Amino acid sequence: MDKIIFGDNQFFGVNHMSEQVAIKQAQKFRTADDIYKTLEYVNDIGIKSFMFTTHNQLEPVFERMKSESKFDDFKLYPSMPYAHKYADALVEMGPFEAINKFVPGSKILAGVKGVGSFITSNPVPMMKLLVDSEMKLLKGMNVQGIFLLNIVTDLLLGLGMHDMLFEFSQYTERKYNVKAGFFTMNHEKLHSVLVDELGMVSPVIVSNINRLGFRMNPSREKVENTLAKKDSFNIAMSFLASGALKPKEAAEYILAIDGVDSVLFGASTPAHIKETKEILNSILM
Amino acid sequence: MKNIAIIGIGKMGISHLAIANQTPGINVSAICDTSKQLLRVVEKNTKFECYTDYKKMLDKIDLDGVMILVPNSLHFEITKYCISKGLYVFIEKPFTLNYSDSKELIELANENKVKGQVGYVNRFNPIFQYAKSLLSKNAIGDVTNYINRMTGGVILKESNKGWRNDYSKGGGCLYDYGPHCFDLSTYLFGTEVKVVSSVLKKVHSTAVDDVVYSTLLHEDKIVGLNYINWSDSTVRKASNSIEIAGNKGKIVATKQELSVYLNEKNDELGFDKGWNQVYVTDQNTDVAFYLRGEDFSRQLMAFSDLLNGKIESSLSSLYSASITDKLLEETKTLAGELR
Repeated sequence: MDKIIFGDNQFFGVNHMSEQVAIKQAQKFRTADDIYKTLEYVNDIGIKSFMFTTHNQLEPVFERMKSESKFDDFKLYPSMPYAHKYADALVEMGPFEAINKFVPGSKILAGVKGVGSFITSNPVPMMKLLVDSEMKLLKGMNVQGIFLLNIVTDLLLGLGMHDMLFEFSQYTERKYNVKAGFFTMNHEKLHSVLVDELGMVSPVIVSNINRLGFRMNPSREKVENTLAKKDSFNIAMSFLASGALKPKEAAEYILAIDGVDSVLFGASTPAHIKETKEILNSILM
Repeated sequence: MKNIAIIGIGKMGISHLAIANQTPGINVSAICDTSKQLLRVVEKNTKFECYTDYKKMLDKIDLDGVMILVPNSLHFEITKYCISKGLYVFIEKPFTLNYSDSKELIELANENKVKGQVGYVNRFNPIFQYAKSLLSKNAIGDVTNYINRMTGGVILKESNKGWRNDYSKGGGCLYDYGPHCFDLSTYLFGTEVKVVSSVLKKVHSTAVDDVVYSTLLHEDKIVGLNYINWSDSTVRKASNSIEIAGNKGKIVATKQELSVYLNEKNDELGFDKGWNQVYVTDQNTDVAFYLRGEDFSRQLMAFSDLLNGKIESSLSSLYSASITDKLLEETKTLAGELR
């Protein structure tokens, strides 16, 4: 995987530090054209990886990319399921209402692969069905990995449903021939389950890694110790702590600790994107 | 290590279960729900023992506490039973549907020497806690008045159906959003409080309120408008914000950030004269297990501490929650008919 990966929070009004900042950023990206132009800039300056939640708003952006040959080597890393909307619903409404909401008619479609399984209490076919439906959006695109969002990773981790994490990883490799990745807010705990318990080799883990220790649970020190084991592929997100840190000081921290393989970052203006990319280049390359 | 069971795992239950299962000092040994379909999935894929009858579950398993996450109208009956069995209780908000029921449960808890907590999660939010600490340090002098807002987009079009449009089923903005808003007011300004005026207004609903104006008076000296609106289409998800005025400055806080305006520089607190900005990223946000916000993890850490005797009472006690029930009732009574 590339050392530098561009993220999508700025497109969809997500900022962990300030709701006002989030609103301002979202206003900049009202149309598919706004998003396309930013990704075009990102691609032009040599950032060749984009990680995103599978928002419907991205569909026209991808359509346009398909017709431009300069995006041929642009790698996509979808994170699922179905953006935060679906995942939040799962947690807030419970699995039944969420499924009824997002798989219309599921109550009567008892014969369908996924729904039938739910009644027979095996969630694996349901997971496969959801992955397949998300991947339809990306047909014919250069997908290099499939990631599970932290709300689901951490829910499974919390409930002790570790087999599902393994099944997800198996499925992406077998059906789509790409590696699975896991977002988490609990790096130490997830690492121990994936590596020590499930025996996965170099699993890809995306977690908050920043000088402030913001959302590095259970503590910055423990996450640093886990990273230093170097038996997982670690992608740092929120390395700027949602804007609380300046790129230079933030990057110096990444350089100082052991075990960060890639950095995922988002920014909304070309100047910020370029500045952050150059600073990361100088420390990671 | 204390053993607990969870009653009700729909809606909020599944995320509470995941967090509780990873909270140090607690062992979740069983769960109970009336949905057999849901239980079958949990039973096959997790280690939790499953029951459909909570009374049977309490008879069979040796427990120290329970989390009661059932529909609001069942809070009183189930909590009463669990307290009478000598169990510590965590109840999802609101405590009960009327103040007298809440007071009865508090008495029963005292008699049975058990302690409890209600799921008022704002009390565990790092920024609101920081605001509270600033008030206790007199950062803005004597607090005189405040505006506490809670807005969200729940009812955005004409609606005359469903439980949300039915007071007898716990519908209406006052009983849905109101508890969180009033609880934040009592957390910051104290439980010595009464409602002095209120208006309940319809926007899209036909039988319940969509907008609430309720003016509280704390200790006869701090006056605060609680403005609650679940028909605000401009808000992505439910949000709280509070503006607190004192004789030496002002605090404006949301769940993520806080601004302080000081009339004079304060070296002790490190604030300049004028506006100062504090973000959640400046606070210590470490939790043992994170699922959907530090506040949700921290409230269960508090319940664990309560069970293990590490704290005398929870930050969100049965008593403070009962005052919220009182404020809901007073707001409804004073408002009279829907406007």
